[in-house]
Amino acid sequence: MMSQPLVLGIETSCDETAVGIVRGRTLLANVIASSVEEHARFGGVVPEIASRAHLEAMPSVINEALKVAGVSLNDLDAIGVTAGPGLIGALLVGTSAAHGLSLALDKPLYGVNHLSSHLAVDALDESRALTPAIGLLVSGGHSSIIQMSDMARSVHVLGETIDDAAGEAFDKIARILELDFPGGPAIDRLAREGDANAIEFPRGLANSDYNFSFSGLKTAVARYLKETPLAHKADVAASFQEAIVDVLLEKALRACRETGIEALIIAGGVAANSRLRTVAAERCLVAGVELRTPPVALCTDNGAMVAAMTSLAVSGGIAPSQVGFPTLSTVPLTQPTWL
Amino acid sequence: MSSILVLDTSTDRTSVGLVDENGLLFEFFHDDSLAHGEVLPKLVAKLLDYKPRIDRVAIAMGPGPFTGLRVGIAFGQAFASARNIPWVGVSSLAAMARVHAESEFIVAIDARRREFFCEHYLDGKLFAPARTLQREELAEFSLPIFYEPPTVEAIAELARDEISITEPIYIRKPDAYPAPKGIKFRPWTQIDLIDIYALERSVYLDDPWSMEQFKEEFAGKSRQYLIAEFEGKVVGYAGIMVAGDVTDILTLTVAPNFRRRGIAREFLKRMVDWSRNQKVEAMMLEMRVGNVEAEPLYLANGFRKISERLDYYGPGITAVVMRKELGK
Ligand SMILES: [Zn+2]
Repeated sequence: MMSQPLVLGIETSCDETAVGIVRGRTLLANVIASSVEEHARFGGVVPEIASRAHLEAMPSVINEALKVAGVSLNDLDAIGVTAGPGLIGALLVGTSAAHGLSLALDKPLYGVNHLSSHLAVDALDESRALTPAIGLLVSGGHSSIIQMSDMARSVHVLGETIDDAAGEAFDKIARILELDFPGGPAIDRLAREGDANAIEFPRGLANSDYNFSFSGLKTAVARYLKETPLAHKADVAASFQEAIVDVLLEKALRACRETGIEALIIAGGVAANSRLRTVAAERCLVAGVELRTPPVALCTDNGAMVAAMTSLAVSGGIAPSQVGFPTLSTVPLTQPTWL
Repeated sequence: MSSILVLDTSTDRTSVGLVDENGLLFEFFHDDSLAHGEVLPKLVAKLLDYKPRIDRVAIAMGPGPFTGLRVGIAFGQAFASARNIPWVGVSSLAAMARVHAESEFIVAIDARRREFFCEHYLDGKLFAPARTLQREELAEFSLPIFYEPPTVEAIAELARDEISITEPIYIRKPDAYPAPKGIKFRPWTQIDLIDIYALERSVYLDDPWSMEQFKEEFAGKSRQYLIAEFEGKVVGYAGIMVAGDVTDILTLTVAPNFRRRGIAREFLKRMVDWSRNQKVEAMMLEMRVGNVEAEPLYLANGFRKISERLDYYGPGITAVVMRKELGK
């Protein structure tokens, strides 16, 4: 069992070609090349374009990360790569490059879960011990509440979205409001000019479980815009955002209360949302819960999260993945690493 | 002794091999086009068990089905950089051609969707550059056509003899085209009719639609009109309606100085999407005979001529009726 493994992590599940390097729980490099501008012209990620861009960017992103970290490939103790969930064509560029490195260098390779990795970035805050926490994972593909004790071995999913992911709802509403892609940052920006209490959108909080449903909210916003042609867009954005933030935090803090766990980790692309971060800080303070939100650069897809997840697996004594492990478009959160 | 690691994922076959000056040392392959990502690392691992020392990597750069092709390239580039050895990219079709001695022949790789990536060779030299041919087009050549995947030796030989190809050979564009830059597409509103009418008159000099016709269209049901806007100015419009089991494209107009920017293609793409949602069997349109600008666009999007209507656009001007089946 190695305590301070030097790990390189590769992430290509969607539109960012990203490589991160960590030593134990210390972040050494986090390099990202994104094809998001190309996708913006289509209003969504185009798999074939993303895959082409990954292949083009991969060698230089790896080299840049090594340069930033001041290490060489031979120094590595292990390599990690996102094996799913994600776009298969995009994932394959990452897993193939990772296999190339691993076999050339004879270093162990870990196929890891993209979703678990989003939460694993919390480990990169060295000032804190790795204690049990409730995780709120909110991204374009997921909205889940997780109970975490040992990140690399097992996580317990308390609740998930039953329809759209939070990030998806942001994208869809942004499209209705004719804002730019990606929708999350666009709504975040516009909402700053609006009144969050202007319109009372439904929260859908009636049920007492930890599952989310955002389709009712989405329909309500669409209906409101249709019925109110002169609506003030900034108010709509702010009120919509307020409703989502409210639901996410209400359920996450309820999970903390009911499990008796006193720490909340918010991770995933939507964790970059400024309103979510502000309201989370306020409510956690009131509830006496320790809030842990990764820096914005580590919330959206990146390679450091994959390296962090892999580092936890290595120091936790987990065996590397088998050569030629599969890439998967959907994987449950309960499977942090591959066999 | 210098040994070359050969990687090929450009066809349905995943193959890896090791070649030195004396020829082939080891070769492993597996036939399953969907498994390149899982199979390639396993085969290379097996090969490294026999001979861990590699001096150079040769990668088949396609053309080939994209997803599989990238597996070999991403793997090979990373492997070479980790070992600090050079990698050389070679054309898969050139490697396929290398083993044939006929005076004239074609080599072809299945590109899926009833298409093939092909090269035509004459007297030992490439005669026509690589291109994509439909199955039917390929069948028309009365020449030997070879489909066997490239051999490991042929790839290694090319890697020694030829200049390295450093980019994947894609031939086919991604299915999605970039929407034209700076152009906004949106449904028309009543106020747009003024701009649309002005554009109509400047484009169709002899028989433009009248303002009355546009107003009727605007009030009409089962139809969709879209406009393309550049810096607040209408630079194109298109309309389509449901007519029984088909949709009918009513107009597709782009301002002359905004043509060749993909605006018409974007209109058409949106109208095809809309038609599919209407659950109709097919799309139809009438086009002036000899409309050299529009015809290739429609043909490329699956429209076929089904009939002609004489004097449709006025005396002596024939309309060509085109139809595109939407299938299930
Ligand atoms: Zn993500």
